[in-house]
Amino acid sequence: MERLRRLPRGRLAVIPAVALCALWIAACGSSSSSTTKSAAASGTTTSSSGSKSAPANALKIGILSDCQGDFGAWYNSDIGGAQAYFIAHNGAKAKGPVPSDGITGGTIAGHPIDIVGYGCANDTAASALSEVRRLTEQDGAQVVIGPLSGDEGIAVANYSKTQPGKTFINGTSGAQDTTLKVRSPNFFRYNGDGAQWSAGVGDYAYKKLGWRNAVVVMDDYAFGWTSAAGFIADFCADGGTVTRVYPPLGTTDYSSYISQIPQKYDGLFSAVGGAGLLDFLKQYVQARGNFKKNTLAGNIFLGDPATIAAVHASDAGAVEGTSTNEDTTSPNASAYIAALKKAYPAKTNSLPAPGTLAGLASSVFTVNYYVAAWALDKALTAVHGDLSNGQAALHAALAKTALPDAPYGPVTLDENRQAIITNYIAQVSGTGVRTIYKVPGVTQTFGGTFSPTTPSPGRGQPVCQKRSLPWQGKEQAVSFH
Amino acid sequence: MSTVANTPTRSWPPRGAALLGWAVLAAVGVVLLLAPLIFDLFWLSQILTQALWLGIAAVSLTFLYRYGGMTSLAQVAIYGIAGFAMGNVVHTINSEGGLNLGWTPWLGVVFGIVVAVLLGLLFGAIASRSYGIYFLMITLALSLFVFYFFGQVTQLSGFGGIRSVSRPGYLGDPITHPSPLYYTCLGCSVAVYLLLRYMVRTPFGIALQGIRDDPGRMSSLGYHVALHRALAFALGAFVASIAGVLSVWFNTQISPGSINIQQTIAVLIIAVIGGLSRLEGAWIGALAYALIDYYARQHTPTLGLWLNPGRFATIIGVVFLLIVLLSPDGLIGIGTRVWALVTRRGREAEPGTAAAAPTAEATLEKAGTMATGGPPSSGRQEA
Repeated sequence: MERLRRLPRGRLAVIPAVALCALWIAACGSSSSSTTKSAAASGTTTSSSGSKSAPANALKIGILSDCQGDFGAWYNSDIGGAQAYFIAHNGAKAKGPVPSDGITGGTIAGHPIDIVGYGCANDTAASALSEVRRLTEQDGAQVVIGPLSGDEGIAVANYSKTQPGKTFINGTSGAQDTTLKVRSPNFFRYNGDGAQWSAGVGDYAYKKLGWRNAVVVMDDYAFGWTSAAGFIADFCADGGTVTRVYPPLGTTDYSSYISQIPQKYDGLFSAVGGAGLLDFLKQYVQARGNFKKNTLAGNIFLGDPATIAAVHASDAGAVEGTSTNEDTTSPNASAYIAALKKAYPAKTNSLPAPGTLAGLASSVFTVNYYVAAWALDKALTAVHGDLSNGQAALHAALAKTALPDAPYGPVTLDENRQAIITNYIAQVSGTGVRTIYKVPGVTQTFGGTFSPTTPSPGRGQPVCQKRSLPWQGKEQAVSFH
Repeated sequence: MSTVANTPTRSWPPRGAALLGWAVLAAVGVVLLLAPLIFDLFWLSQILTQALWLGIAAVSLTFLYRYGGMTSLAQVAIYGIAGFAMGNVVHTINSEGGLNLGWTPWLGVVFGIVVAVLLGLLFGAIASRSYGIYFLMITLALSLFVFYFFGQVTQLSGFGGIRSVSRPGYLGDPITHPSPLYYTCLGCSVAVYLLLRYMVRTPFGIALQGIRDDPGRMSSLGYHVALHRALAFALGAFVASIAGVLSVWFNTQISPGSINIQQTIAVLIIAVIGGLSRLEGAWIGALAYALIDYYARQHTPTLGLWLNPGRFATIIGVVFLLIVLLSPDGLIGIGTRVWALVTRRGREAEPGTAAAAPTAEATLEKAGTMATGGPPSSGRQEA
């Protein structure tokens, strides 16, 4: 009896609940510091971002990274990379030993730096989109540095077209479409895409390692495809043939993909990244035995000596394509590493091994965010801090900004605002990385192989065929030892 | 609760409280209608619009649980099917993923909803003979199946999904001008709410509640239990598919990441914290979820190894635990208590009402409870 009477009374109960929520959001919504319409119920001070104390001419910057998913471990590596630049060159100070503690002070071309927030995505386009919208629309970021991952980059580049008055500088995402297909006028990428980071490896494997047929194992998403595309374009240009295997990003059990790998092949190129690489290599070794000498190559993720040691491939050696080098002795790289050390000297659990930012200097997650901050500083200084007219002057300056002193080789932008970089080929052993060749002037188009009208890298793309590439046989031997 | 027993249906609630109730409802309605003038772009879009379409997704679950006794974890998969089906057939700029058949957006909407409802009917037929934890597991499996299907079949989606899905022209760009999409979501929410309210009062809806309470007895009365459950599931799929279409317009894209296990759990959480006893709870839960999600991402501090911004989900989890602990019936339950406090004084001022409960009115009330659906009884109820 008692129970039966509850409902009719409860019928109106929804009203106070709705009303409370409505009042709550009315209060919160109006306090937002961002643009446009001011709300009726003003006067609340719950404004969240760090911007409340910032001066009127502050430059509001949002940093977008991943704090979850396959690349979540590098969250502070990204943030630290960008902030270390501001600390070293713009007078900012770290608020704490962990980069996500934030920074205070610092100016760029007269504008005080105000980091309004950190985006916390999970390598999916959906999460990056919602986080970049939070940073720009709610926190009022005028400049966004990020994102981290391939599909996120495509989503953010598309989104940037709806925000023509703001500036987006890529963090370290490396899908090809982001700049080659989307071509947003206010999205700039000062790092190579995944294919550029593999440039030269295929040529090296064919000519120096004698591979004729290769297995290419790639994460089944935009960056994995792009990364593998660079190898395939090179390797097939010389006349090699490839077998492609596509494990999804986030796979933990690779056994069914390992069984797709033919028993006989000359070499294996791994475009597996993030948390999956170690699982893949370990399970491969368990299933097929140790790698034979000179049969393993991979993209930037293979450049981790700990990974190579863990799968007992130290003697076999491995070759990686990379846009950075751990063993470099160049003054540009030394200055960069010194900047990281000075900004974040302490070891912290918030960073992946070895636990210091300087220890992660050659990680693309650190250096590409650092370079993005550098480009912003240089371009905004060049236009004397002019943010008027929808940041038009800044956009024009960024498109022209070149960084000849970038830590690991000069960077210039092409007409799609995509970096032209120097790529490296390195040998990875259980104890370290040794750079052996460099490939200067690597363009995103691979000498016309890729263009806005060619199919995007994907399953079966690019087609394996003989072609001529600008750097075929022109890799330059380097040695830092 | 005992002080308010035996209140006659017809004279309840007291005039004053009813007046207050309608006034508050009208105020909420006005706020919702004028939201684009009150809130800034971000709040209108990322909080309110998102809460409305998430609410539609969650209400499909609330409906299935409340009136059909089915705790379905497949609702996100179904809205994903609608979204992917639509995304594949309509035009996408730059041909960014999917089949890009170039259909008009409205034809895409119809196609997406039809495909989702048909597959929902199929899912329902598969799951309709199982109850309780088994039903939960089957729908969870369907949900994962759909997630992996679209992740693996790159012709239809792949990890990156389908981007730049074209929308009906009147929506414009929902990022810079969210009002048309907001009103669309508001209209769909009201329509879905009215539809479900209507459906549970039809003979079908009442039979469904009978099946929820005692499938064995309904079966012996001649009702086709499995068919009723499958049809109810299809109705839930129809509602979820609307959310799917709106979510694609809202996000401008859809990828397997939009329908992963986290999202499946999120919709379950929304339904539970809103309160499963009433359909309205879904939208209240969605609003609360959108707000908590936003604030947790923004404000999660670093506390040694325990907490850092990357673990914002911890905050979300704690808040949800608190809501469910304090009020087992979610936010709706809190509303019920507040309302009881507000109206108690008025009722105590009318002596006699507490004692006199004519049998006829009690019977009438019982019938009404049947029609609107009482809380799932403890008899043969699962979940």
